[in-house]
Amino acid sequence: MAKKIMVVDDSATLREVVKATLVKAGYDVLEAVDGKDALKKIAGQKINLIICDVNMPNMDGITFLKEIKLQAAHKFVPIIMLTTESQEAKKQEGKAAGAKAWVVKPFKPETMLAAVEKLILP
Amino acid sequence: MEMESARKTFLTEAAELLEEMEGALLSLEGSVDNKELINVLFRSAHTIKGSAGLIGLDRVMHFTHKVENVLERLRQNELYVSDELIGIMLKCKDHIAALVQLSCNADEELPVDMLTEGELLHDRLAPYLETAINIAPANPAPEECSKAPCYPEPVQDTPPSTGASNWHLSLRFGKDVLRDGMDPLSFINYLSRYGDITCLTTLYNNLPDAEEMDPESCYLSFEVSFHSDFSKQEIEDVFEFVRESSVIRIIPPHSAVQTYVSLIDELKEDKWKLGDILVKSGAITQRELDEALKKQQIQPSDEKPYLGDILIKEGIVKREVVEAALDKQGKLRGKTSAEEGKTIRVDAVKLDSLINLVGELVIASGGIRQHAQTVKDGTLSKSSMLMSRLVNDIRDIAMKMRMVPIAATFNRFQRLVHDTSKDLGKNIELAIKGGETELDRTMIEKITDPLTHIVRNSVDHGIESPDVREAAGKPPKGTITLDAYHDSGSIIIAVTDDGRGLNAEKIWQKALRRGMVDPDKRPHDRELYNLIFEPGFSTNEEVTNLSGRGVGMDVVRRNIEMMRGFVQINTVEGKSTQILIHLPLTLSIIDGFMVGISGAFYIIPLDMVVKCFILNEETQRLAGDRGYFDFRGKIIPYINLSSVFNGNGGGRHSDNMVVVQYAGQSVAFAVDRLYGDVQVVIKSLGKMYKDLQGISGATILGDGTVAMILDVPGIIKTVQTSGKKE
Repeated sequence: MAKKIMVVDDSATLREVVKATLVKAGYDVLEAVDGKDALKKIAGQKINLIICDVNMPNMDGITFLKEIKLQAAHKFVPIIMLTTESQEAKKQEGKAAGAKAWVVKPFKPETMLAAVEKLILP
Repeated sequence: MEMESARKTFLTEAAELLEEMEGALLSLEGSVDNKELINVLFRSAHTIKGSAGLIGLDRVMHFTHKVENVLERLRQNELYVSDELIGIMLKCKDHIAALVQLSCNADEELPVDMLTEGELLHDRLAPYLETAINIAPANPAPEECSKAPCYPEPVQDTPPSTGASNWHLSLRFGKDVLRDGMDPLSFINYLSRYGDITCLTTLYNNLPDAEEMDPESCYLSFEVSFHSDFSKQEIEDVFEFVRESSVIRIIPPHSAVQTYVSLIDELKEDKWKLGDILVKSGAITQRELDEALKKQQIQPSDEKPYLGDILIKEGIVKREVVEAALDKQGKLRGKTSAEEGKTIRVDAVKLDSLINLVGELVIASGGIRQHAQTVKDGTLSKSSMLMSRLVNDIRDIAMKMRMVPIAATFNRFQRLVHDTSKDLGKNIELAIKGGETELDRTMIEKITDPLTHIVRNSVDHGIESPDVREAAGKPPKGTITLDAYHDSGSIIIAVTDDGRGLNAEKIWQKALRRGMVDPDKRPHDRELYNLIFEPGFSTNEEVTNLSGRGVGMDVVRRNIEMMRGFVQINTVEGKSTQILIHLPLTLSIIDGFMVGISGAFYIIPLDMVVKCFILNEETQRLAGDRGYFDFRGKIIPYINLSSVFNGNGGGRHSDNMVVVQYAGQSVAFAVDRLYGDVQVVIKSLGKMYKDLQGISGATILGDGTVAMILDVPGIIKTVQTSGKKE
């Protein structure tokens, strides 16, 4: 069964690019526009990896991350956080909350794929 | 405290035991089984293990335990000694020694490479512990650790490559890795994209007992043997997400060491920081460098370890690579410093003794040369000539070593001029030229005082106050210039001011009042100026607290003459005054011209000699009668030195002439013999002879004879005064 990856970002373009890359590599991709949306969509699902932006409306990435770590079903799901160079403080906050994999935007699709594959077992 | 001393005892004891072990191992090598030696071995290992356990050095005990087991089997004849086993045992012995040292000196974690090494040695010992008697095991290469549980199973299609080309990865995953959503397995899986994992050992030593184990924590460590053509940076990037929470060590394959070494060698020659060189060659990654630098930073500053040592100790990079980088660094640095001009500081005393020795060498070589001339041996003459030339070169270099630029001395006067001119309400600028001119160090010391007097005089008496200057149509700001330059074999220091200049009339009047001159004979202005160097002369009516009561200038002249120099004054009234200090290039060794007078040897400093020639009897008689002599159309005094030094000049007329020049004044000396140029080490005559006239010093010739150095300025002065009297 194909591995399921949740992409959480308010930018439709980004979701599209990431999704295309991952689908091509053989993954199932779910999409969410913000943290709240994502929490709703992963409920009751087995997710293998989450890619999540930091700045989003409704529920930002850090809050979402903290929420995920509280859910027994998802606390061990690897999470890749997306960030820009300037968000050092956010990055530290995220690391403290348990997100160790960070990919700096803008990124090349293959960078994202490599990050995913380091964290996910085939 | 008790533990502390126990540890010390253990250190000494272990060192002895290990030495015994080594001795026994080496004796065993190639020999038939020797029960006694094996017993020694066993006992040593056993004692080390027991003592280590007693004082809580578990790591030593743990490692030695296995060694002891193997030795026990040897003792029981279950195993037989092989060269291979001895090789492993020797390595084990080294490892125990290292472990003992490390464990006794520090309680901290063992470096990863130590753990790895211990693991590998245990793996190599393992076959000897198997009950199936397999006395000659297949040569176990260090990287092929087929004993330990391997995961994933080595299913690679390619045959496991030789150890030399394998990377070694030590992965110590952090406890929180799983909680952070990372699975160690996924990284190892990803790693296999970059090459072949030839062997993977899982280490369980951190695994706690079942009741203490937290299922959400990660306790796993892996040793991975890895075959890959990717760079260290690329391999490290595989673990980028866990590297903050885990310890990841990547040890390059042995073959890569050569690659790094050659890469380092080919690096462009611009940067030369060790870390930069290593990163550039790919031997270490930037992160590893940063971490090592951090480690270096936290050490107390007086015992900061070298970066290279840290990197080697951490097992990040092989010693050869660091050495190659250091070598490269040395080359680059050597180049840079050569461009910058190398200097070393030398104790002045050492330099002085070198000059003294060179002086002795000059005398000694003079002796050989003289001897060679006497015995008329061609070969000896030739080689003595060569030696003289070399000694000359050495002398020149030795003298040069004492030369110091005068700039520092000159610059000291900036402050003096600034302060004194302010006190006097004057506006004076000090201009410095020729600061790069070099003077003998001792001369620099001696010239400072006279220069201070002269500069003070210029500030005080020379430069006028601003309103006076303006009234005279001069810029209100006065200038004093200090200059130094070489001029025909001597050094000239010039102090020039654009002040009021010297007033000849004033000096004349004052000299009259002081009774220093003959009122009927007013000399030329030039001579009047020189009166300011006479003791007790001061032109300034008001005595200021700056320049004293005219004591300065006569001291100035005396000091300079003591250095075999002289002072000259050039002045234009109302415009400028210039004081020129002429100094010889060196103080202690000079080139001299040797002459004979009444059977004794005399030296004339060579730089004063203008010409020497033989006079025909007629002209000579004439010159002797008149006391003067026509030289190149100029009338110069003629002095028969044999009459000066013997008093009874009537004897025979000397026909050899030496014309000397000093301070613009020429004199012809008649001497008995001309010997030629010699190198002269000046020795002072001592206090007893300080009033001696016509002689400024003495020197020792090669054969031990003493020769007097003629005080040419003194003789000229005597001639001048005697001339005036007549």
